[in-house]
Amino acid sequence: MSDKVKFNRRNFLQILGAAGIAAGSGVLIPKETLLARTEKDSRRRGHQSNEVKPGELDDYYGFWSGGHSGEVRVIGVPSMREIKRIPVFNMDVATGWGITNESKKLLRGRYTGDTHHVHGSYKNGTYDGRYLFVNDKLNNRVARIRIDYMEVDAIVDIPNVQGLHGLFPQRYPKTEWVVANSEFQVPVPNDETNASAFTKPKQYYGLHTIIDAERMSIVCQVLVDENMDLAATDYKGKYSMTTSYNTEKGVTISEMLASDYDYMLVFHWGRIKEALRKGNYTRINGVKVIDGRKGHSDIVLRIPVPKNPHGINVSPDGKYAICSGKVSPTCTVVDLDLIDLAFEGKIKPEECIVAQPEIGLGPLHTTFDGRGNAYTSVFIDSTNVKWNIQKAIEAEKKGEEEKKKKEYIIDVLDIHYQVGHIMASMAETKEADGKWLVSLNKFSKDRFLNAGPVKAENDQLIDISGKKLRLVHDSPAYMEPHDCIIVRRDIVEPNVKDRYDMFEHPLAVTESGVKRNGKNVIIRMTSNAPVYGLQEVRLKKGDRVTLIVTNHDEISDLSHGVAISNYNINFVIGPFQTKSVTFTADKVGVFWVYCTNFCHALHLEMRMRLIVEP
Amino acid sequence: MKRLIILIFLFVMLAPVKGYSQWEFFEHRYKYKLTDVLEADRFEKKDGYWEGYRGNRLVGYVFLSKEWTKKLVGYSGKHMETLIGMDTEGRLTGVKIIFHSEPIVLIGLKEKNYQDFMKQYKGRSIKEELTVGKQISMDAITGATVTAVVQNAIILGSARKVAAVTGMMQFAKKKRGKISTKFRRLTWKELLESGAVRNLRVTSESLGMKSKEVYLDLYFAVVTPPSIGRSLLGDRLYSDIMKRLKNGGSAIVVFARGKGSFKGSGYARGGVFDRFNIEQQDRVFVFRDRDYRIVTEIKATGAPDIREGGVFIVRDAEFDQTSPFRFNLILPFRIGAKKEFKSFGAEYRLPERFLE
Ligand SMILES: [Cu+2]
Repeated sequence: MSDKVKFNRRNFLQILGAAGIAAGSGVLIPKETLLARTEKDSRRRGHQSNEVKPGELDDYYGFWSGGHSGEVRVIGVPSMREIKRIPVFNMDVATGWGITNESKKLLRGRYTGDTHHVHGSYKNGTYDGRYLFVNDKLNNRVARIRIDYMEVDAIVDIPNVQGLHGLFPQRYPKTEWVVANSEFQVPVPNDETNASAFTKPKQYYGLHTIIDAERMSIVCQVLVDENMDLAATDYKGKYSMTTSYNTEKGVTISEMLASDYDYMLVFHWGRIKEALRKGNYTRINGVKVIDGRKGHSDIVLRIPVPKNPHGINVSPDGKYAICSGKVSPTCTVVDLDLIDLAFEGKIKPEECIVAQPEIGLGPLHTTFDGRGNAYTSVFIDSTNVKWNIQKAIEAEKKGEEEKKKKEYIIDVLDIHYQVGHIMASMAETKEADGKWLVSLNKFSKDRFLNAGPVKAENDQLIDISGKKLRLVHDSPAYMEPHDCIIVRRDIVEPNVKDRYDMFEHPLAVTESGVKRNGKNVIIRMTSNAPVYGLQEVRLKKGDRVTLIVTNHDEISDLSHGVAISNYNINFVIGPFQTKSVTFTADKVGVFWVYCTNFCHALHLEMRMRLIVEP
Repeated sequence: MKRLIILIFLFVMLAPVKGYSQWEFFEHRYKYKLTDVLEADRFEKKDGYWEGYRGNRLVGYVFLSKEWTKKLVGYSGKHMETLIGMDTEGRLTGVKIIFHSEPIVLIGLKEKNYQDFMKQYKGRSIKEELTVGKQISMDAITGATVTAVVQNAIILGSARKVAAVTGMMQFAKKKRGKISTKFRRLTWKELLESGAVRNLRVTSESLGMKSKEVYLDLYFAVVTPPSIGRSLLGDRLYSDIMKRLKNGGSAIVVFARGKGSFKGSGYARGGVFDRFNIEQQDRVFVFRDRDYRIVTEIKATGAPDIREGGVFIVRDAEFDQTSPFRFNLILPFRIGAKKEFKSFGAEYRLPERFLE
């Protein structure tokens, strides 16, 4: 015992007033109050550390889209460590996504995808930690990821559209709908029944698709002349919004840039529901399509904004929608409290605009800190710009002279290089906390070891807890994240499971065995480290084989692999998970089935044989 | 090696299918007679145990662990069935392993090593402390810490339960009290001083190391009283844990700092925490990874930074969190390249003020 903390047991017991404390050897109550929280101190405003020491956990789950890798990634923030890749629209030979029957049923033969926007399901304006939704711009699908297993459980095809891009869930009172936009106008329907429209771009349309989040089915589509880029919803469950950069219906760049003004579109959910109730729609490819064109219905409000806008983001207080200008150096601030008046015709749509501050060259996306400030990614300048929304509105009121002073701009940070999306922690919720900002940069150039002509992207972590933006960390990203959300750990963590519910899978194997019915063979097999439930299975050439495997290990993190040599099959099963594959035994010989995912000291011995006889 | 053509899966005990499992390679079943563990010339069958007589004199008891502590399972996920003999004073007269499937072969051990480990129980009293790393040495099966800890819990728990049934030892059957639902946010200092949080401090010196450093500075507490749980874990984590406990059970929270680790890495492989357990009267509770939720910071004002922490759920309704219990720590450490073990313990008694 050290002399520093000499301890008198009798006194101690008196202090406690507790009887029956029989302290064992080595038991000691330190007299002094314990050490100061040096580390916590270093997290004070403007000086946050991104260091997450061995054994510590990140404060946030980051969910990143994987772009044309087709996946979604889980990144720890602020450490920026990649924790998981969730295969979504791609084939993943590690987990067997795209190889197993379960995943093939969802993917239906398409293994390319382009994920742009991942968003979580909401309750009362903040994440509820149940689901993630993500778009596929390439094959026009929306997938849902269940957060408990961090895997895809549903994929819905979106007909009648191309370039399915912006996606956003309903924020209030909870996520019943998810909206998704089509960026490329196409003939509707886009098939042989409508071939006359193929060469007539004026007969191309954009569609705002509404998806039922629980059922993962399409509620309806709203047809408009415009294309639609990014998506947002309000905090009252009344509207969804988007920007359009091709109101011209151009099919070449010069045509798309022709007009000086494009639109922010607002969709009135009450009126959409009414149209559905009244049957004011036509069915196209099985989907209810509501006419939202100008002059044809009152469902869509069109607010003119400077040409070719890009992102649309709603401030955490629910008051403003901000359209980032892209080609225009400005952001357009729209007061959402005025939208109803505009819908009712009491004011002009453009009167909803309360500020148009100049931000920099190429504003793309805006995010928030919950303290009234906006952060806009500025592509051409390669900066992140922090500005105050209220000050911008006041400057607008005071006039051009005041605006020129640009006093609403608080700080400008150079980034490396060419930022696309930008996102702050919890910024797409009413609980925006203004701690961290991630700048998803499209070029890394010389920021990492040179790994050949095709280089990583650069996700930069920025401390926004203080007045100034402070660049903290660069992390390389494989092509090509577009957008991300940064979700507080305590929202996600309680929902994430360590093992599957075994009988959620209807084919869960509890007893190994082989069943033959003519040429059809069903192999049911358990796996427990380090043995499979079967040691050999005899097959005949040409047999149609279904192999179903259930992992019976309960220990968390104890996953097994199932790989069939020379049969181009591999998949991984987590604790209590079941997966199956179906294949034809077209090669004769002995084929070892082995465990690919380390599981045990005798992992290498974990194998069995398929004997395919001629 | 005796090869049984019997198929035993962990989760199903159904009829064997064609082909056979490789599990029997890890399974060891031994024949036994009651006199293997107690010298007696006559045994009388009782409910869950046998009385052993020499002449007309009752000399002790023989019992099978699976009758008493079946829930305790080892690395293999299976109970290590043990035949235990005990005299009328609570001294063990012999213990014999009759079935286990602990994969000790993987760490280069033989069955004989397991049997050697068991030999040291003969003559030990279950009325006294009986802890791995102290009275019970792990030398014979070094490396098989999960097996040793669980085996010890099986012997001690079974024997104390039989001692209670036969009237040799008395244990309170009634719960001490009801936990108060009152809430007051307590500081770290208040939590420590009230006895709500207990400290167990292992110095490097006590392990024979030269350093002056504290090797492991560990704190533990019961979670349920809101003034303790909410103050330590914060409202959100506390309510998550309480949700998990809504169908019964209780939880303890353990935090530590220092060079040593109470979690170790055994749970990563076998799912069992082999460095600590809690002991309450005739019961020993061992924790598995499914009972565990990581904790990375103490929320109470003035609390130190910690290096590791966790909430551990006791599902067993036999545990009474209001009654005193003992936290046992079996700490492996290295002196040079040599691995050693030493045990420590601390008593916990929920202070009166947290009871109704
Ligand atoms: Cu394996």
